[in-house]
Amino acid sequence: MNRVKVLQVWLCFVSLWLSRVSHAAPLDCKDETGSLTHCTSISQEKLLDRVIQHAELIYRVSEESCTLFEEMFVPYPLYTLRNQGGNMCHSKPFPIPSSKSEIQQISDKWLLHSVLILVQSWMEPLSYLQTTLDRYDDAPDALLNKTKWVYEKLLSLEQGVVVLIRKMLDEGMLSSSSVIEHTLAPYDGQSPEVLESVLRDYNLLTCFKKDAHKMETFLKLLKCRQSSKLRCLSH
Amino acid sequence: MAYSLSLSLLYLGFLCGNGLVSARGSELFVPDPNRGPHFTGCRSREQETFRCWWSAGTFQNLTEPGALRVFYQTKNALSTSEWQECPDYTRTVENECYFNKTFTHIWISYCVHLRSVPQNITYDENCFTVENIVHPDPPIGLNWTLLNASRSGLHFDILVRWAPPPSADVQMGWMKLMYQVQYRVRNTSQWEMLDLVSGTEQSIYGLLSDKEYEVCVRCTMSAFKNFGEFSDSIIVHVAQIPSKESTFPMTLVLIFGVIGVMILLVLLIFSQQQSRLMVIFLPPIPAPKIKGIDPELLKNGKLDQLNSLLSSQDIFKPDFNHEDLWVEFIQLDIDDPAEKIDGSDTQHLLGLSRSGSSRVLNFKSDDDSGRASCYDPEIPDPEDMASLLPGHSGWGEQHPLVSRSSSSIPDLGVQQTSEVVETPVQTQPAVPSWVNMDFYAQVSDFTPAGGVVLSPGQLNGSPEKKKEEENEKKIQFQLLSDGAYTSENTARQLSADVPPSPGPEQGYQSFPSVAVEGNLWNGEYLVCASDSQTPYLLPEAPPVPILPPVSDYTVVQEVDAQHSFLLNPPSSQPTVCSHSPNKHLPAMPTMPMGYLTPDLLGNLTP
Repeated sequence: MNRVKVLQVWLCFVSLWLSRVSHAAPLDCKDETGSLTHCTSISQEKLLDRVIQHAELIYRVSEESCTLFEEMFVPYPLYTLRNQGGNMCHSKPFPIPSSKSEIQQISDKWLLHSVLILVQSWMEPLSYLQTTLDRYDDAPDALLNKTKWVYEKLLSLEQGVVVLIRKMLDEGMLSSSSVIEHTLAPYDGQSPEVLESVLRDYNLLTCFKKDAHKMETFLKLLKCRQSSKLRCLSH
Repeated sequence: MAYSLSLSLLYLGFLCGNGLVSARGSELFVPDPNRGPHFTGCRSREQETFRCWWSAGTFQNLTEPGALRVFYQTKNALSTSEWQECPDYTRTVENECYFNKTFTHIWISYCVHLRSVPQNITYDENCFTVENIVHPDPPIGLNWTLLNASRSGLHFDILVRWAPPPSADVQMGWMKLMYQVQYRVRNTSQWEMLDLVSGTEQSIYGLLSDKEYEVCVRCTMSAFKNFGEFSDSIIVHVAQIPSKESTFPMTLVLIFGVIGVMILLVLLIFSQQQSRLMVIFLPPIPAPKIKGIDPELLKNGKLDQLNSLLSSQDIFKPDFNHEDLWVEFIQLDIDDPAEKIDGSDTQHLLGLSRSGSSRVLNFKSDDDSGRASCYDPEIPDPEDMASLLPGHSGWGEQHPLVSRSSSSIPDLGVQQTSEVVETPVQTQPAVPSWVNMDFYAQVSDFTPAGGVVLSPGQLNGSPEKKKEEENEKKIQFQLLSDGAYTSENTARQLSADVPPSPGPEQGYQSFPSVAVEGNLWNGEYLVCASDSQTPYLLPEAPPVPILPPVSDYTVVQEVDAQHSFLLNPPSSQPTVCSHSPNKHLPAMPTMPMGYLTPDLLGNLTP
């Protein structure tokens, strides 16, 4: 009886562990027939370039979304909020380097992990942002489309970073996005046109833009290190 | 709750406070004289350090250094730092606070305060994040190269190149820069602004030669709108190349063109004058032509000329055989002396026939006998025809008995032997032989030789002696009528009703036909009825001195032993046919129109 119970529990743990693994598993390649095949390999450099391209695009689109939202909903005097850079953004589980010197000092491993954590931390808020933006009466279609697009690109960015980690650092990933606590207030039924909700959404967009910039910067620094460590560190 | 409170406080603060600083270009550095102490701007050049400037404003008592001090605070999601004073007041520049690399953090919000410490008054506040205040330095190393020039030399294109500012760490990827080029004609006010480019070169198209252009470039961080200062301008000037080569081909073209036009004109003039050339260039189109006939004659010539012309053509010549036959007949008749002796009318006949034949010849030469309906001028005058025939009257212009073939003409004419007589009967079953004749002549006598004597309307009594011999004979014969066809019944009636007199008013005589079985041939049957009248003259009948006018038809009265016809219009018709009442005419077999075959003749003659 006990043995059976222990066995069951053990099986449960194993299955949970396996599901965790599969949750953050890298891409499985499928050919035309749909069966799983070995993925065609890509060099590390090329993969890093592609990841950087993704990050650049995400950053640019996030900036455009922020501008669109600002023009549409934010009263003019509050434009300076943008300069503030969203100091109300949700926190990260570990400190992220904020200066160039600091960034230069951290290791590659930290860079990649930081990027991954950043990407994973924005999954939920972006989906939340999509729903809230839909509730606006006259939200421009461009804004909605951009938000959706960014969300999709973020997913593929995550997958790319996971592969990079596996390749560059030779370690598997087990963390899931549920680790990060979000401080986002749930939707409380207020009408979206109220200033408070407008400011909240604006803050979200600004914060996302900042984090996208961070991702891009980290990845570029990583690339620089790959090509010539001396040049990147000496500045 | 706390979140919303802080938000609203922030909002209020910005609305009421004086420290609303918007990073907009060079306006930052111009202090507002009407305001109190305030920040004139905070800027970062390379995203690694930044500076802030302030001005005392109207408060002149605070212009001393140290009267106003700057304090800053950093805020992030986790914590808020303490207020710290400016780490470095720049000695060389007045009212400037410099934050070096150590104190510069990106992605973190800064707030700087301008305070007067003794009074503990915060005159101005400015909050920002460093990446939002980055204004890169202008690019360096601006130069241009000529891409190409237009053919005319009036326009040219250039390629402008530059290098990123050295302060910006582009290689590492710390900053991603976008560049913007602008140019204008020197000493004008309007700048031409081009689009942002991410590379370090740009092409400018369509610049005018002999004009001086100013070109400069500035840059900004990607996805940001904070442009740096413009670089120093460079002067672009391309002198117009006076290309002599361009004029050279033009003159050549002109010269050649003029020469070509002149040659064409000369050719035209010559070709007009010389028809040879015209013939070579424009050959005449051949007109339709008939050999031997002049087309002009066809247009303008007279009819008889035309006739002679056409007659000379081979196609119009009739079959020579027929003509020869006709000639033979004529010759034979002329040469035979017996006929001359016996037939007083022979000469007449011959002359008549000759004349007729000659006439016919003429006509034959024109065409076949079908011309009676087609060639109206060629048909001998109906009056002429009437003159040939004795007592002919009432002819139409066309006689339907005119045959199509000319070969039958001699058949009706002089016949020497019975065979000759027969042949026409045999050969032309469809049409009576003598129908082909254009005219008719009354046969007045038979020569002993078997010839038929034709008289021009006069009858002799000579046939009387013949009739004596053939009293008993009854003949059935047929004659083709003149279009007024009657059936046999009607013919019977007619013959019954009308006395069989060769009335001039009748073109023919009709006699009841007997036992013509089934022959619905539309012809007149000149029949000698079996029991009734026999159309032959009795020998005792007095010779009629004056013959009645010649009718259109001549009735064949009898066939004598020599198988020759007796044609005589019987004067005393009523009694004629009563002589042989008992004689029953043999049944007439079905015959072709108008002919008696020798078999029939054999049947008829006793």
